[in-house]
Amino acid sequence: MRALNYVHRVSLDFTGTLFPHAICLGDADNDSLNELVVGDTSGKLLVYKNDDSKPWITRTCVGTLTCVAVGDVCNKGKNFVVAVGAEGWFHLFDLTAASANKSDSSSQHEFMSSDDQRPLFTQHIPANTKVILISDIDGDGRCELVVGYTDRVVRAFRWEEPCDGPDLGSGQLVLLKKWLLEGQVDSLSVNPGPEGLPELMVSQPGCGYAILLCSWTQQDSNSGEEAPATPGSEGPSRDVVLHLTTGRIHNKNVSTHLIGSISKGSKEESSKCGLFALCTLDGTLKLMDSSEQLLWSVQVDHQLFALQKLDVTGDGREEVVACAWDGQTYIIDHNRTVVRFQFDENVNAFCAGQYTCKEGKNSPCLVYVSFNHKIYVYWKVGLEHMESTNLFRVLEDKPEFKSYLKALGVDSEDPAATRALVSDLLYKDSQL
Amino acid sequence: MLQDPFVEDSFSRFPSQSNIYGLCQAGQQELLAATLKGKVVCFRYQELQHKVRPVAKEVQFTYIPVDAEIVSIDAFIKSPPNRGLVVGITFVKDSGDKATPFLNIYCDYEPGSEFNLDSIAQSCLNLELQFTPFQLYHTEVQCHDGGRETVFLLSGHDQRIHLYKENASLHQFEEQPVEKLFPELQHLPSNVLWLDVLSISGERRLSAFGCQNGCVGLALVDQTQREVLQNWRFQFDSPVSTVKLFPLSCQNKQGEKSVEIESYNLLVTSTIEMAVVYRDVQDRGLSTLVCLSESDQWDAVLCSLVIDLDFDEQKEVLLGTYGQELLCYKFQPAVNGGGDGQFQLQWRRSFKSPLLSIIYLDLTGDGLRELAVLTLKGLHILQHSLTCTSDLVLERLAHRVSVLTDRSEPESDEAPNTEQTSTAVETEEILSN
Repeated sequence: MRALNYVHRVSLDFTGTLFPHAICLGDADNDSLNELVVGDTSGKLLVYKNDDSKPWITRTCVGTLTCVAVGDVCNKGKNFVVAVGAEGWFHLFDLTAASANKSDSSSQHEFMSSDDQRPLFTQHIPANTKVILISDIDGDGRCELVVGYTDRVVRAFRWEEPCDGPDLGSGQLVLLKKWLLEGQVDSLSVNPGPEGLPELMVSQPGCGYAILLCSWTQQDSNSGEEAPATPGSEGPSRDVVLHLTTGRIHNKNVSTHLIGSISKGSKEESSKCGLFALCTLDGTLKLMDSSEQLLWSVQVDHQLFALQKLDVTGDGREEVVACAWDGQTYIIDHNRTVVRFQFDENVNAFCAGQYTCKEGKNSPCLVYVSFNHKIYVYWKVGLEHMESTNLFRVLEDKPEFKSYLKALGVDSEDPAATRALVSDLLYKDSQL
Repeated sequence: MLQDPFVEDSFSRFPSQSNIYGLCQAGQQELLAATLKGKVVCFRYQELQHKVRPVAKEVQFTYIPVDAEIVSIDAFIKSPPNRGLVVGITFVKDSGDKATPFLNIYCDYEPGSEFNLDSIAQSCLNLELQFTPFQLYHTEVQCHDGGRETVFLLSGHDQRIHLYKENASLHQFEEQPVEKLFPELQHLPSNVLWLDVLSISGERRLSAFGCQNGCVGLALVDQTQREVLQNWRFQFDSPVSTVKLFPLSCQNKQGEKSVEIESYNLLVTSTIEMAVVYRDVQDRGLSTLVCLSESDQWDAVLCSLVIDLDFDEQKEVLLGTYGQELLCYKFQPAVNGGGDGQFQLQWRRSFKSPLLSIIYLDLTGDGLRELAVLTLKGLHILQHSLTCTSDLVLERLAHRVSVLTDRSEPESDEAPNTEQTSTAVETEEILSN
């Protein structure tokens, strides 16, 4: 298995502790460059920008933050920062203005009124939150907010405001649906189904997953009819289709993570029959598509607790990135080529994605939250190739290479002769 | 500062740390790395099902006890007409009250398995040493019958260098007096930490050594007469970590014509001071030196290498430091021929742990060499960016092909020309008609 070391990293100061889902990368201030958003257990929301070790913005929330997200939750065409506490307080922040204030003067923020520091909107939703997702789950082109709870419940909300409402203050979250699951929900994700419609997926213990049906769309289209898409479930009210993946599962209660909508390279391909990955704490990793076809399965001897996707080769296809508690990180492509990286500390929380660390542009990054008050951002994690390769493989793809060899009378099938030629071309003292 | 041209291809973590004498090339495409706790790892790229995979496998060298701590490792391929790979490993066996040093030499004489590492590892010559070993080095010497032979040179804490040469009739290595073959390596001022020997034109050789007390010695020796022609010494203030002899060609403008002059140089890295390069040592000895600025900024320099990294036929100087940095210096000739030029820091690359040793060799078997960097934690393989290098190869191929066709062109060039003129004549005729 190929292993390598990343060395280009910046360390950010972070004195608190956090829940594993209270970290995310996203464009918090709508400047098309991504920031790192972290929420700690004391209710502090921190936003880091570039390679600055101090937070760019700090906000205070009510309660213990369990999850943060960045997205267009209000369907206004711009991103908001969402922070949800364990006690059920939902906070909405608009950091676009903060960005403008900051650029006026760096010392300005000290004099900012406490009004600017407060969230744009707060609402109490049911408590015991664990994980959130901002995404379009019913295919109407508008984002919903999905919240997973520690009591095996998932709720979907939609931001609604009166049509003549003057501003955001008049809107609120409206519950769309509640699902009750059999096992703990560790991740929420959306994946294009076989027909191309988005499917809301949640992970279930023992390397399983469930698809949650958005019954309100069915009520819209065929109201009065009995919901046909829930065979086998105990009642139409549950709308939960459980899938258990096959294979050697040692412990059917093992905690499982899931990530969907893994890009296949082109838009058309990715939009239907989407790829999703699963990982378990006992070291199983799987890549499947929404028609339940298994693409690969990998067994490792590390406790995987976080699963992300990231395009490290820059070919448009996203690789699966899984991280273990002890820092071992696996990057696996669609062909099951594995690259390992060992982060040298235990990991409190992990995320991967695009972040603007250096050079003023987004680049693929790995983010590790350690247990010693530091967040490490590895900002140069791109690779030319996922697998080890040599110059011949690269040259073979170039048609002119063969014709040149022919012109020089070198047999392209003879590796020793080609090697000698390449060596002679590159080095003066070409004896090996 | 420029971007370093390398991409890390693989990293192999070792169970225990190594040291500055812990890495060597064994054969054409393999590396041997020795770790402190008696384990030797063989690293190579395996080609399997049209895929290249890095493989680090432990080799079970026989007669290395479990409580041994490996000091140094070296390997060479016997000079022709002899065949076979020879591996030398020095270690200290510490059985509690008394530490005993040993040199094990592994070599297989069985036809067919002279290059098979696993069988070589099983045939061992075990020599007990009377001194603590340091660097194990090999170099080629001229025999009385005019043939060439490769010998081991081992420096020790007894302020001497010991020579081990194969006794052809007995099929084994034995210690021989060093002064017979290397008169310049006797009466040393201190323990030698690093030794380098380079054969140069006119059957001569340059030998350089760096000592624990900071002394650097350089000698110009007639290889056939085995006679020291010239001898230089210089005293540094701190232990000398490495010395490297290398040729450097540079364009010297003399009037209209630019003449390429190749001269021999000596790189000296010290643990505290700046690294320096002595220029034209075969003529000027240790009189002209150029400093490698900033090379003392990242703790002690532990390893060095002089190779052509950017394919421009001029060698660059690589330094690996305890401060976890790899530094690359390039020689900039003096403008207008004045002075001696200088070495400029081109780029540096950070690592996760101190650098111990570096080797540049073709591991992947494609003619392009890789940089193997041994650090305290393991072995990094850095590969040149393949996209850039493949473009360069294609460019040079195109150039070579065009040169070739230009040479064979003249006759074929004639034909189309005559055709053209004839058609021109025809059209004229038609027009006149």
